[in-house]
Amino acid sequence: MIRRLLIANRGEIAVRIVRACRELGIESVATFSEADARAPHVVAADRAVLLGPAPAAESYLAVPKILAAAGAVGADAIHPGYGFLSENAAFAAACEESGVVFVGPPSRVIAEMGSKINARRLMERAGVSVVPGETPEDQSSDGVRKALERVGLPALIKASAGGGGKGMRRIHEAGDIDLEIDAARRESQAAFGDGTLYVERLLENPHHIEVQVCADAGGRTVHLFERECSVQRRHQKVIEESPSPNVTPELRRRMTDAAVGAAKASSYRNAGTLEFLVDLAGGRTDDAAFYFLEMNARLQVEHPVTELVAGVDLVRAQLLLASGEPLPWNQDDLAQRGHAIEARVYAEDPTNSFLPQAGRLLLYREPNMPGVRVDSGVAEGTDVGVHYDPLLAKVIAHGESRGQALARLTNALRAFPVLGIRTNIPFLLAILAHPTFVAGRAHTGFLDAEMPTLVGGLSHEPPRFVREAVAAAGTRARETRSTPDTSVATGLDPWERLRGWRL
Amino acid sequence: MSGASVVTQVGDGVYRVEQDGRAEVVYVAGQPDDPWAFWNGQVFRGSFGETPPAAPRPRAHRAVVQSLTAPMPATVVKVLVEPGDVVKKGDTIVILEAMKMELPLRASGDGTVKAVHCREGDLVRPDSVLVELA
Repeated sequence: MIRRLLIANRGEIAVRIVRACRELGIESVATFSEADARAPHVVAADRAVLLGPAPAAESYLAVPKILAAAGAVGADAIHPGYGFLSENAAFAAACEESGVVFVGPPSRVIAEMGSKINARRLMERAGVSVVPGETPEDQSSDGVRKALERVGLPALIKASAGGGGKGMRRIHEAGDIDLEIDAARRESQAAFGDGTLYVERLLENPHHIEVQVCADAGGRTVHLFERECSVQRRHQKVIEESPSPNVTPELRRRMTDAAVGAAKASSYRNAGTLEFLVDLAGGRTDDAAFYFLEMNARLQVEHPVTELVAGVDLVRAQLLLASGEPLPWNQDDLAQRGHAIEARVYAEDPTNSFLPQAGRLLLYREPNMPGVRVDSGVAEGTDVGVHYDPLLAKVIAHGESRGQALARLTNALRAFPVLGIRTNIPFLLAILAHPTFVAGRAHTGFLDAEMPTLVGGLSHEPPRFVREAVAAAGTRARETRSTPDTSVATGLDPWERLRGWRL
Repeated sequence: MSGASVVTQVGDGVYRVEQDGRAEVVYVAGQPDDPWAFWNGQVFRGSFGETPPAAPRPRAHRAVVQSLTAPMPATVVKVLVEPGDVVKKGDTIVILEAMKMELPLRASGDGTVKAVHCREGDLVRPDSVLVELA
C-alpha cells in the first residue's frame, strides 16, 4: 500500500486527493507555488513542498522539481490530478524510472491515447465507431467526391495537415461541390503548405456523453456508467450530469460495452474516461449512433457525479489500484441510484465576455444543505490570481430524480455568496432554468445558440432591500472605523451617519 | 404601499431585511465606497444610494477619446499597433493573457493611436492604461 503520496497539483482536486489519503491512512504531501503558499490544499495536507515561482512552467509543470520533491520527502507515489502533468507520458515514464508509483495508467498507454491517430486506430481495432472519415488516396476532385459518398453527408472537407478551421468546408448536398473542393485545397496549401484534404462526417449538434472505466493490475475492467457533458462553452464543460437524460438502457449497454472493450484492448489501468459524440438527431433511441471522441487517461473534473450516483469513491479506488490492490467492486455490484448534476463555478464575468476575474474573495460561503456537495480549492480571503485555471469550486447535487437534483442544485447556487470577484453563478442559474436544459435536451450547440438569452437577463437593478442592507453595512463600517477615535464621535452628524437609510 | 424596513445584522457580512412581514437575507462585503452585495444568486456592485449614476470618468472630458485599459492583472502577449496608426472600431489593439486564456482588447471606436504604454511581456495591473487613442 502507498504510504506517502505527493500531489502534483493544486486547487480543488488537490484538496480532494488529500481527503482520500486521510481516509486510507496515507500521508499526503502537497506541492505549491509561491502564489499558493496559504492555499487550502497546502493547509489541508500533512506536509507541503514549495516548487517555485507562480508560473506553472516553473512550479506545477516543472518535472525535475516535482521528482526532486518526491525524493526529498520520501514519497512512494505521485498523484497528478487532472490538467498539468496528468496526461504527460514523459512524466509518467520518469516516475516509473525513478521507482515512484504514478497514480494513473502506464506511460505507454498515456502516450498511445495522447496520439489522436493511434487512439483512433486502436478504437477501430476494438470495434468502436469513430467519426467516419478518411484521407482519400486519390486527391483529385473525383477522388474527394467518392470519399464524401463513402463517409456520408453532411460532411466536412478539411486540411489533413492542420486544424483551426482553415480550409474547412461544410458540404450538405452532393450537387456542385468541385468549387468547394478547390477552395479547400487552396486554403490548406496556403495555411499549411500541404493541400492534402481529409473528409469527415459532420455531426450536427451531437451530445457529449462519456463512460467512466476502471481497471486493476490484473486487467479486470469495469465501467461506472455514463455522464452527459453537452453543456459546454468553447469546449469547456460547464454542467455535467449522470445518468444522461438521453440514454436508453439499450444505448447505455452498447456504450458501456464499447468502453470496456476499448479499455481492455488498450490494456488500460486505473481510472479513465472514454468520451463519445452521440448523434441524437433521430431522437432518444436504442440504436442512436455514437462515435469515439477521445480517451482521457486520468481522473476527470466531473468525477463527483459518478461518485454520487454509483455510491463509490473514485480517488480512493485510484489509490488502491495504484497500490496493486484488485478492483474494489464487481460490475454486478454497481448500479445507478438517483441523479446527480454538477455545476462548475468559474471566476469569470458572464456579463463581460466571460473575462477571467482576479482578486480577493471578500466574502465566500459555501452552501450546506441536503444532497449537496461542494469540492473547492479556495476560501474566504483567498487571492484568486491569473496564473491558473479559473475554476473556484464545483457544486454537485444528488437527488432521487433529475427534478430533485436540479432543484437542489438551483437552491445551492442561490445560497452560495461569492463577493470580491465576479463568478458565473448567475449564468449557471440561467442555464438551470432554461426550458431546453430542464427538458434534458441540451446538445453541444445549446450554449452558443442560447447565449444571448442566457446572458441577456443577468444585469439587474438592486431591489430596495438590497440597497437597505448595503446602506446598513456602510453605516456600520463607518461607525466601527470611528469608534477607537473618540474625537470623531462628537463631530459626526447623525444624519450624515444615517445616509442611505430609507425607512 | 410598503411599510418600514428593519435591517438586522445576523452574521459577518450577513443582513436580514424585513419588510411587511417578509424577510430577505443579503450578503454585503467590500469598502463602503465600493460595496458588493449578493442576494438569491444575484450579485450587485457599485452605487446603491439615491445619488444619480456616477459622473463620467474624468478622462472622457479630455481630448483622448479612448483609453484601452487592462481589465485584470495580465501579461501582454502582443501589441498590434504603433503611435500614429489609424485604427477602426473593433480592431484588435493588444492581446493579453491571463489564466491561460488570451484576451483581445479591441478599439471601441475609430481613431488614431496617440500613445502605447506597454510592451510585449509586460505584467500589467488592472485599470492601467495600455494604449491611448485620439
